[in-house]
Amino acid sequence: MFPQFLKGIRFADLTWAGAGPFSTKLFSDFGAEIIKVESGSRVDPVRAGGPFRDGIAGINRSGYFASRNTGKKSLAMNLKSRKSRDILYDIIRTSDVVSNNFGPGAMERLGLGYDEVKAIKPDIIYLSMPMYGEDGPLASLLGVGMTISAVTGLMWQTGYQGEGPIGPGTHFPDHAANPYHAAFAIMAALRHRRATGRGLKIDLSQVESTINCMGLPFLEYALTGQERERMGNRSPFHAPHNIFACAGADDWCAIAVETDRQWQALCQVTGLSELAADPALAHAQGRLQQVERIEQAVTQWTRQHGAKDVMARLQAEGVPAGMVMNSRHLMEEDDQLRHRGYWQTLDHPEIGESQFTSPPFLLDGERVNLRRPPLLGEHSEDLLQQLLGYSAAQVQALRDDGVLE
Amino acid sequence: MSLDRTAQNKDCRIKTAPIDVSPSRQIAIVMSTQTLRPYTGIRIIDLTRELGAYATRLFADLGAEVIRVESKQGRADRQNPPGVAGLDPHRFGGVPYAFLNANKKSLTLDLATAAGQNVLADLVSHAQIVVYEAGAQADVALADLLAVPGARIVTSVSYFGLTGPYSQYVGTDLIAQSLGGIAWLSGEPDKPPLQLAGQQSVFVTSLYAAAATAIALWDLEATGHGHVLDVSAQEAIAHSLQNAIQVYDLEKRVSSRGGEGVRDATEAAYACKDGYVFLAAPLALPASWNGIIQWMTEEGFEGVSRLHEADWADRATRCKAAMRSEFKLLFERFVANKTKQEMRDNALKRKLVMAPVSKLADLQDDPQLVYRQYFQQVSMAGLDHPVAFPGAPYRLSEPLWQIERGAPALGQDSEAVLAGLAASQKTAGGQA
Repeated sequence: MFPQFLKGIRFADLTWAGAGPFSTKLFSDFGAEIIKVESGSRVDPVRAGGPFRDGIAGINRSGYFASRNTGKKSLAMNLKSRKSRDILYDIIRTSDVVSNNFGPGAMERLGLGYDEVKAIKPDIIYLSMPMYGEDGPLASLLGVGMTISAVTGLMWQTGYQGEGPIGPGTHFPDHAANPYHAAFAIMAALRHRRATGRGLKIDLSQVESTINCMGLPFLEYALTGQERERMGNRSPFHAPHNIFACAGADDWCAIAVETDRQWQALCQVTGLSELAADPALAHAQGRLQQVERIEQAVTQWTRQHGAKDVMARLQAEGVPAGMVMNSRHLMEEDDQLRHRGYWQTLDHPEIGESQFTSPPFLLDGERVNLRRPPLLGEHSEDLLQQLLGYSAAQVQALRDDGVLE
Repeated sequence: MSLDRTAQNKDCRIKTAPIDVSPSRQIAIVMSTQTLRPYTGIRIIDLTRELGAYATRLFADLGAEVIRVESKQGRADRQNPPGVAGLDPHRFGGVPYAFLNANKKSLTLDLATAAGQNVLADLVSHAQIVVYEAGAQADVALADLLAVPGARIVTSVSYFGLTGPYSQYVGTDLIAQSLGGIAWLSGEPDKPPLQLAGQQSVFVTSLYAAAATAIALWDLEATGHGHVLDVSAQEAIAHSLQNAIQVYDLEKRVSSRGGEGVRDATEAAYACKDGYVFLAAPLALPASWNGIIQWMTEEGFEGVSRLHEADWADRATRCKAAMRSEFKLLFERFVANKTKQEMRDNALKRKLVMAPVSKLADLQDDPQLVYRQYFQQVSMAGLDHPVAFPGAPYRLSEPLWQIERGAPALGQDSEAVLAGLAASQKTAGGQA
């Protein structure tokens, strides 16, 4: 289905790179009109970053860009030109939301600070999402998603036991914590405006957002004054709880026993009757004390079976187990995602047919269908003529002047 | 499956107007718009345990009335470890419970009896949103909730979704991180895949669930159409893998842990004098790369000459493991006598993408977080002193986000909620 729940809501969307566009994509997928205001001379780094269809670079060929910008319209302008600012003001007058994820001060330099925008559209909802927030002694610290992991405790806590911090292998906070806190805040602001007539400014510090996602270990620290050491894939409360090597090369299955009943079931499936009968291992506390002995025994068994087989055998007896999937496994081998129709194929003028992840839920039993991402500047002329009422001659003049890119 | 019940409920906006007429809510009704919060007047029945609990907290923080309906024994999530020293987890819950359930209410019912189930159905009938966590530990059946007349949003959260061959599988955070694909991408190439700390699948799933529920509510209020959301943690994790899916789809390369072939040699955590710093200085961030070279040159660090050689000017070469190992040795030599604070000062001064790797213990002293008064002091039921909680995940220009109370003790709000329900039924009956 193509839900139109947000039809009639318009964004003047200046977000770029990862976290910002992933947030506004949710709105276009539900029928809002997202006008992606971009520049051909200072191009969205994700357009330039790839991966590209067949590895051949091109401004409209990036799969990364495609995955973050489904269903949006692209207006490409030289944002430093005075005329482009006037166009943007005209768009903002008809918009509900202005969104950006630049560093502090960048929007002001473009003449698009909150006060200026509010002056031309008093009930605007204005989202900023700089790394460390808009003001304060570290507000100008430059960062990427991994920097956010670093300063929030996520990187410190993520790593192998007895070794240094590693952190997530991706710019993790860019891909969930920050875009979806932002989306939730925008929906709240829309609702607030509907009830009160007032717009809101949203200052989303990506660090402050991400620390909420470290709320569980943070609160434990706040209550006890003790910070746990890195534990790899183990748990301080449950055993066995780890990722186990299986029969293939780079073939892994996670096993997470959380109850004594699951422990007995694990022993039964793996044939570890000696361990099952050992009263010292009957409860978690005892298993934690002998975790290496248990893990060795379990590994001897998992080494004899493929990860998918390990998962299926253990899950059949109610033991939490999951193969560690890579992108190929997910796309080609995972029965669950295939069954639920998770992968969507979209055609695109330059990328051709490619695969997209669906929004991670079924809505009334169906998938939310996506619409393809825009080419750079694909909608510039339409938007100026149909939304703003410019004449074809005016649009051509803007193009000749280098305002449209 | 559709919950479109417009025939039964033609004007949802009237039916779902403020329904709790307890004294506190009566005050809320007459409040001017100056004190209206975004979800004031929205009632959410919370049947979550772990994956969905943060979703309902997000609504509670903005004024929704979120009611945990629990059995007399308390829901299983109260026992999730670690416990809080000195507190009975059965009554007060442990640490995860305390964080995920702030601002909510708790009502206990004997859900094994028809009477208890009827009260639950009444509560659901007066709610705009139900958030349900599927699984063997669920106290009630989803079908019973869906059978309650009226239009509303019913959001199910589960590890793998309600349908498909894994729908009966047992999940945990580690399992979701594995089957969702994020564990594969984390860790080092010659070691096992690595879980992310902090139960991240809980937050990723809840964030998608909350945003989608908010959008579905918007439609309910506009059209009167109810909706059912079936949120899968596996899908949520798989949706958040940076560009790994597209790298495989378009270029047939499998992204893997350590970033081999993908991540620049300069992007990692490095040991310094008093801890670790994270640096990113790829050629794609020229200010950062040039700034590091400049800094090394200014200090007369002899290792810098190596970084001027041709292989360091080639993006693809820089993504190789040997380059990563070499840079680590070189950079750690450069920063061995520098503190995290010195490194941060230089990052600011030189516009480097570099920051300390903070411990949890460092966060409350982070100068930026101190300046912005980020942490909140929250009173927790059973404790005689307030406790620091992470503050708002976003700042609104009006004071609409608040932690008003800690997570509820078991059944703390039973009487008040039931009195409100009875009053609203009486009111509804009087209007009929």
